[in-house]
Amino acid sequence: MKINWWPWGFLTLLSLVLLLFFVFYPLGTLFVNSVRDESGAFSLSGFITLLQDSEYLLAFRNTLVLGVSVTACTVAVGVPFAYMVARYDFPLKNLVAVLPIMTIVIPEIIVGQSWLLLLGNNGLVTNLLAGAGITLPTFYGWTGMVFSMTLVYYTYIYLGVLAALRGFDGQLEEAGLSLGTSPLVTKLRVLVPVILPAVLVNALVVFTLVVGNFALSVVLGSSVPLLSVMTYNAFVGEMGGSPTLQSAMSVVSIGIVAIVLFFQKRVVERKIYTMTQGRAPAVVRVRSGAAVFYTLSVGVIIVLSMLPLLIVFVGAFTETSGPVMRWGQWSLSSLERALRGAPEPIINSLKFASMATVVGVAFAVLVSYLTIKKRNPFTQLLDYIVVLPLTISGTVLGIALVQTFNTGWLVLAGTSGIMVLCYTVRRLPFAVRNASSTLFNISDSIEEASISLGVSPLKTFFKVLLPAMKASIISAAILMWVTTISELSASIVVYTGGLETMPIAIFRQVDGGRLGLASAYGAALVSVILLPIVVAIKVFRINLFSSK
Amino acid sequence: MASITIDNVVKQFANQTVLQNLSLHVPDGAFYTLLGPSGCGKTTLLRCIAGFNEPDGGRILFDKDDVTRVSTHHRDIGMVFQDYALFPDKTAFDNVAYGLRARKVPKAEIARRVNEALDKVSLLALADRYPAQMSGGQRQRVALARALVIRPRVLLMDEPLSNLDAKMRLQMRDVILDLVREAGITTVFVTHDQEEALAMSDRIAIMDRGSIAQLGTPEELYGTPVNAYVADFIGSANVIPVPAESAGGAASHVRYQLCGQQLDGKQGGAALGAQGILIARPEALSLMAPAPHVPNAIAGEVLRRQYLGFKTAYRIRLHDQSEIRVELHAGNMVADFQAGDAVQVLVPADSRVVAA
Repeated sequence: MKINWWPWGFLTLLSLVLLLFFVFYPLGTLFVNSVRDESGAFSLSGFITLLQDSEYLLAFRNTLVLGVSVTACTVAVGVPFAYMVARYDFPLKNLVAVLPIMTIVIPEIIVGQSWLLLLGNNGLVTNLLAGAGITLPTFYGWTGMVFSMTLVYYTYIYLGVLAALRGFDGQLEEAGLSLGTSPLVTKLRVLVPVILPAVLVNALVVFTLVVGNFALSVVLGSSVPLLSVMTYNAFVGEMGGSPTLQSAMSVVSIGIVAIVLFFQKRVVERKIYTMTQGRAPAVVRVRSGAAVFYTLSVGVIIVLSMLPLLIVFVGAFTETSGPVMRWGQWSLSSLERALRGAPEPIINSLKFASMATVVGVAFAVLVSYLTIKKRNPFTQLLDYIVVLPLTISGTVLGIALVQTFNTGWLVLAGTSGIMVLCYTVRRLPFAVRNASSTLFNISDSIEEASISLGVSPLKTFFKVLLPAMKASIISAAILMWVTTISELSASIVVYTGGLETMPIAIFRQVDGGRLGLASAYGAALVSVILLPIVVAIKVFRINLFSSK
Repeated sequence: MASITIDNVVKQFANQTVLQNLSLHVPDGAFYTLLGPSGCGKTTLLRCIAGFNEPDGGRILFDKDDVTRVSTHHRDIGMVFQDYALFPDKTAFDNVAYGLRARKVPKAEIARRVNEALDKVSLLALADRYPAQMSGGQRQRVALARALVIRPRVLLMDEPLSNLDAKMRLQMRDVILDLVREAGITTVFVTHDQEEALAMSDRIAIMDRGSIAQLGTPEELYGTPVNAYVADFIGSANVIPVPAESAGGAASHVRYQLCGQQLDGKQGGAALGAQGILIARPEALSLMAPAPHVPNAIAGEVLRRQYLGFKTAYRIRLHDQSEIRVELHAGNMVADFQAGDAVQVLVPADSRVVAA
C-alpha cells in the first residue's frame, strides 16, 4: 500500500513514537524489572518470593473471590433493572436517564467515604441503630466492599444489557410463540441466548475493574488482603529499594486482566449475534401493585447510587471534633480548612486535569482520525497500542511510570509532568473511543468534497473534520476531565510532596479518620466535576444540529 | 471549462487491475456518462480524474494541461457525491460559500454568487438551514450549487441520484441538465442506472472490467450494440448464439441459422467467425399466425402471456426448446395470442449479429 508521508504519514509516526515511549516502554520496563534481581541479572526470584508468600497467595485468592462476588451481585442487580426499564413503563421511570452520567461522575473514593460516613464504625446510621440497641456488622471488609463496589459497577451491566434488549427484535419472540413454545420457554430459548453475550462481556469488564480497584479496596478492605492494595504497599514500602517484587506483583495483575480480555475476545465476542432489524417489543405500562414494586425497586437503586452526592455535601457542612462527626450541627469550619488552609490539592487537581484533558483529547482526536480515516499498517499498530492501558490497573500503571521515568535522560518523577502523563495515559483509550465513535459516522466524502473545492488536506482537517466532530470533542473532553480529576489509583503511586490532588487528599484524610475534612475536599471535587457537565448540557442545547 | 483527455490510464489496487489502458476524450462542454455494474471501474476512473486516485500509468489532461500528478485541491474541479457530502456543521449558504472562501473571493461577491447559485437550485429560502434540516433532494441541490458556484473547469458526479427516491430522481435529472447546459460545463457523470444514462448523456461509455466496452450516443448504444454485454446492459435483449457467415453483397449483410432455419441479419461490431451472437430486442420482434409462412420468421408456441398495460410480453418456445421474448406495444399490436397458441416470430432483417 502506498503511504502519503505528508502530513499524515509523519503524524502517524510521531504518534507511534510517543505511544511507544510513554505506554509501551514503561510496560516493557516493568516486565523486564520483574525478572531481574538487584544486580540486573535474569532471575525469577520475584515470582518465587510471591509464590512462597502465604499472605500474597491469600490476597490473590481474596481478589478473585471479590471479583466473582461483586460481578455476580452487579449481574443480579443490573439485569433485572435493565429488563424492567426496557420492557415496562412505570411511574418515575424517567429518573433512570440520569444514572449513567451520575455513576461515572461520582468518584469511587467519595462513594467509599460517604458510605463510611453512614455505616462506618462511627457512622450516622450505625450510631442511630446502636442507640436503638441494634448492632450492625462492621462495614469494613467484605460487606462494605461488595456492597459499595456493586453500587459503583452495576451500571456497566445495566447499560450493556439495556442496549442489547433495545436492539432485540421483538418479532423473534413472536416467532417463538407462533411456533408453539410457551412465553417463559420462549424467553429462555430466544431472548436469553441473544442477551447473554452482552451480560458476559460486561460482567468481564466489571471483573477486571474489581480486580484493579484501589480506592474502595484500600478504604474499606483494611482487614482483607487484596492484590491492588498489596501492590501499592509493596511500592510504598520499597521506594528506592529493589523494584523486582513490585514489578512481579504488577505483572501478575496484568496477567489476570490479560487472561480475562483474551477470553472475552476469543470466546464471548464470537457468540455475539447481530440483529438485522431491531424493532424492540412495545413497552408495557404496568399498574397498581406491580407499578409500586417496579418503582420502588428502581427507586431504591437510584437513591443508593446517588446518596453519596448528598452525603458528601452534608458531611462537608457538618461540625466535627477530631474524627467525630457532630451530625445535625452545621459548620463551615471543614470547608474553610480545606479551601483556605490547604487549597493546594484543589489547585493541583484543576491544573493536572486541565492539562491532561487538553493533551489527551488532542492526541485522541489525532489518533482516532489516523486510525479511522488514514488506514495503513502503522495506524493499525497505533490502534493496538492505544488500548494497552485498558489492561493495566491504575496502581500498576503508576508503578510502571515511576520505575521508567525516575532516572535516565527524561526524569519526570516528582514533577507535574508525571501526574499529567499518568492521567493522560490512563484515560487515553476512553478518549479515543469517544472520538472514534463520531468519526465512524462522518463520511469520507465530506473531506473529499472540501479538497475538491480547493482546500488542502491539512486545512480540510481543521475546517471540516474538527467542526463536524465538535460535539464529540466536547463530550470526550468532559469525560476526560471528570474521570481524570477523580483519578486516584495511579496518581497516588506517582505523586510526591507538593503534587497532592483532591482524591489523594480525600484518601489521606479518610485514612487518618478525618471524615469531615475529607468531605470538604469531596464537596469541592464533586463541584468541579458537576460544573462542566451543567455547562455542557447548555452548550449542547445550542448545537442541536447533527451530522446526518 | 476544459476538455478532458484520458490517455492510456492504468490503475491497480492490490495486484488487481481496475483500469486497463483506458483512453477517453471528453470534448469541452460535453456531458459524458460512465455506465456499468459495480466493480467495472467507473468510480475509480472518476476518482482518477478528480485526483483522489493516482493512476499507475498513463496521463490525464484538462485541455493541454497534464494534471496526472496535480493534487486534487489544485485541479479546479467541481464534484458531487453520492451521499451529498455536505458539511454538517455549516448552513446551506456556508456550504456553497466554502469553495469561494478558499479562493479568497471578496465577501460581497461571495454573497452575490452564493445567493445566485442557491436561487438557481430554488433553495434561496433555505439558505440558513443545516443539512440535517433538509430533505435528500434539497441536500443534493445544495451540493450541486456548491460544486458549480466555483465555476470549475470540469464537473464530476459520482452516482449523485442513487440516494434519492424515484420521483426526486426524475426531478433532479432535469435540475442537473438545466444547470450544466446553462453553465456549458464539461461533465463526467457516473451511474449504474441505464435509464439515467440514456436520458441525460451526450455520450455514454459502457465500462466492463476496467475497459470501455462501447462509447456512443444513447441511440447508438441502444440501436447498434457492439457486443452482447452492451446489449444486455442497455435495455433488454434476446442474446442467442447462432452459427453465422457473411453473406457477401452489402458489406454488413449476414446469414445466420436460428432453430435450423436460415435468416438474414446485419453485422454489428467486429468481423464474425463461424459463430455469432444474435441480439434481438423483444420490442423489435413481432408475432404472427403460423400460416402463411413469411420470410425471416421462425415457428414457435406461446409459453406465457403477460399483460402489462402499455405492452404485452410473451415468452415463446421455439422448436429446439429454446425460448425467446417478444413484446408487443399496445399501439401497434395487430393480433393477440394466448398461451398454447402456435405462432411465427418475425426477426427483422436489420437485427444485429455480433462476434461471439
